[in-house]
Amino acid sequence: MERLRERLSNRPEFEIAMSILEEPWKGIQVVKNYIGGEWVDSKGERVDIVNPANQRVIGTCPISTKDEIDAAVAAAQEAFPSWRETTPLARVRCLFRMKEILEERFEEVSRVQTMEHGKTIDESRGETRRGIENVEVATGIPTLMMGYNLEDIAEGIDEYTINQPLGVFGIIGPFNFPFMIPLWFAPYAVATGNTVVIKPSSEDPVTQIKIAEIADEAGFPPGVWNVVNGGRTVVNGMLEHPDIKGICFVGSTPTAKEVIYPGCGKTGKRVIAQAGAKCHVVVMPDADLARTIPSCMTSFFGNAGQRCLAGSVLVVCGEGLSDPEYESFYRKVVDAYVGAASKIRVGYGLDETVQMGPLRDKGKKEKMLEYIQKGIDQGADLALDGRKVRLVDDLPHDAFLNPTVFKDVAPDMYIGREELFGPITSIMRTRNLNATVELLNDNRFGNADAIFTSNGKWAREFQYRVRSGNIGINVGIVAPMAFFPFSGMKDSFFGVLHGQGKEAIRFFTESKVVIQRWF
Amino acid sequence: MVLTLNTASAVISFVTRSEEETAKFYEQLAAKYPKGTDAFLAFSKENRKNKVTVERAYYGVISDALEACFSFKEGLDPATYSVEAGLPDGATYADALTAAIEKERRIQKMYLESAKLSEGLMADVTRSFKVMARKREDRLAKLNALLLAA
Repeated sequence: MERLRERLSNRPEFEIAMSILEEPWKGIQVVKNYIGGEWVDSKGERVDIVNPANQRVIGTCPISTKDEIDAAVAAAQEAFPSWRETTPLARVRCLFRMKEILEERFEEVSRVQTMEHGKTIDESRGETRRGIENVEVATGIPTLMMGYNLEDIAEGIDEYTINQPLGVFGIIGPFNFPFMIPLWFAPYAVATGNTVVIKPSSEDPVTQIKIAEIADEAGFPPGVWNVVNGGRTVVNGMLEHPDIKGICFVGSTPTAKEVIYPGCGKTGKRVIAQAGAKCHVVVMPDADLARTIPSCMTSFFGNAGQRCLAGSVLVVCGEGLSDPEYESFYRKVVDAYVGAASKIRVGYGLDETVQMGPLRDKGKKEKMLEYIQKGIDQGADLALDGRKVRLVDDLPHDAFLNPTVFKDVAPDMYIGREELFGPITSIMRTRNLNATVELLNDNRFGNADAIFTSNGKWAREFQYRVRSGNIGINVGIVAPMAFFPFSGMKDSFFGVLHGQGKEAIRFFTESKVVIQRWF
Repeated sequence: MVLTLNTASAVISFVTRSEEETAKFYEQLAAKYPKGTDAFLAFSKENRKNKVTVERAYYGVISDALEACFSFKEGLDPATYSVEAGLPDGATYADALTAAIEKERRIQKMYLESAKLSEGLMADVTRSFKVMARKREDRLAKLNALLLAA
């Protein structure tokens, strides 16, 4: 970083722009577990945490043992009775304090995300803001948790519901949004009187450690908020533990479908399992291309394509056009898209002029290279080859891949139907809206799909017919706000209730019905 | 290659630094020209308030789902809009006011350009840029009045 600053300081523009931000820490962060209000060393082995932009080892993360996850669940279980008896107002006061401290440390936690994940600073700050919004919504629990009642269901008899917490919940976070995703769940869980054990991704766990520090400072009693780092042992420990009442998971479809969902079923746990995706962005002939293309850049290349809401297939639809008109429209969209993608500045996200960071690690880049080769082998036309890495500065290329675009992709090609999770776009053609809807509905995933159009009828038909949990109309990233559920369908979601907002509150509470009569 | 500022973060850093530099400039003027001390200190204070207003607009609405990294199109050229706190040696009160007017015009243009570039971005940020540009009208009128009276 110092080397980078030094080199850039010789560029005259840099004198003016001063665009390289300081890293939030130097040296190695030795990550610990946070159990029962204490920072505890793990007995498990440690893995390196590597900054994907410069390949520097910036910390080590423990792979905690079965005993350690058991200890965390025991601490959470012990804290539960008195926490549930704490008044909702007193519980949310901890969240108000947490929100204040998160705002004070906003920039620090954002830079931590960029440093350990690789995303750009704008993206990290965006993630921080959306995480905080969940804390804000959860502070409304004294109202949001209320039940309802009806007098005189029969003469002299009244009936009402009360919503009660269940106990300990496990939260398993993914690597791609290390700050925000655990906050889709944890604030609602604790606000409703439950206790939590969070397992962050071992690839970028420091962000959740910062949040645990903040939870500690905010005054949550010991055992209410716990963090246990690790891998499969911790996940299995959560799934098998009889004191864990429910699991919130965000990750891949195979893990959600084959491990988390059946695992929770076996032990009778509640489950929210949000999984993989293959999101389509449809461009209609009347779309405002000047606004659509920048929106697509964010959708397809934001977070280096590593998000379940990322656009993956750009569908150019020719509804209402003659064949020559459609050819011309298709070429226009492809040219504009490839032109914009080729100009994206790729580099270290702490450089404020960088628009796309690296993939999380070298292994993920290698997977992308395999997918690109598969696309070529299956006959897709490579319009922009991101394998020729061009960075804004002299950084190791290990985890970097520039935006990659295939055109004339067929729906049965691997790159056109499976989740890739990287900065690779497949451009497809559809002749009309009906064929577009069929194409989307034939895909096994149903996380998010978007349409860009000026035609309300087309937009309404798209919204009505497409089987996808989150629908965007002239919005490329369909990320629900904290007061709406983060939905998902088909192979993108396993469970009943979703994270965030009112559905999260339902998930973290048990409805109890009381029917009363007084003699 | 010209380094343009093409992300929300880079533009916000640049415009807030411009406000800070201008605040320092007016502090220098206040110390050097007793005739305009009150007005210059008020300008300086307002510059720091502007900085907070713009930062608040950005940090309040920044979202991973919006086009923070991609909406500034060709980008803002920092060389065109840079302002420095310094004042030439031996500058008279009238020279200082003329320099201030020139700086304010440049800042106004910078905000107007930023507002135009960020139209696809979070509306609150665009609006705050427009508000800052409008505020410069008032500032320029005051500086011109001081220059006339000088």
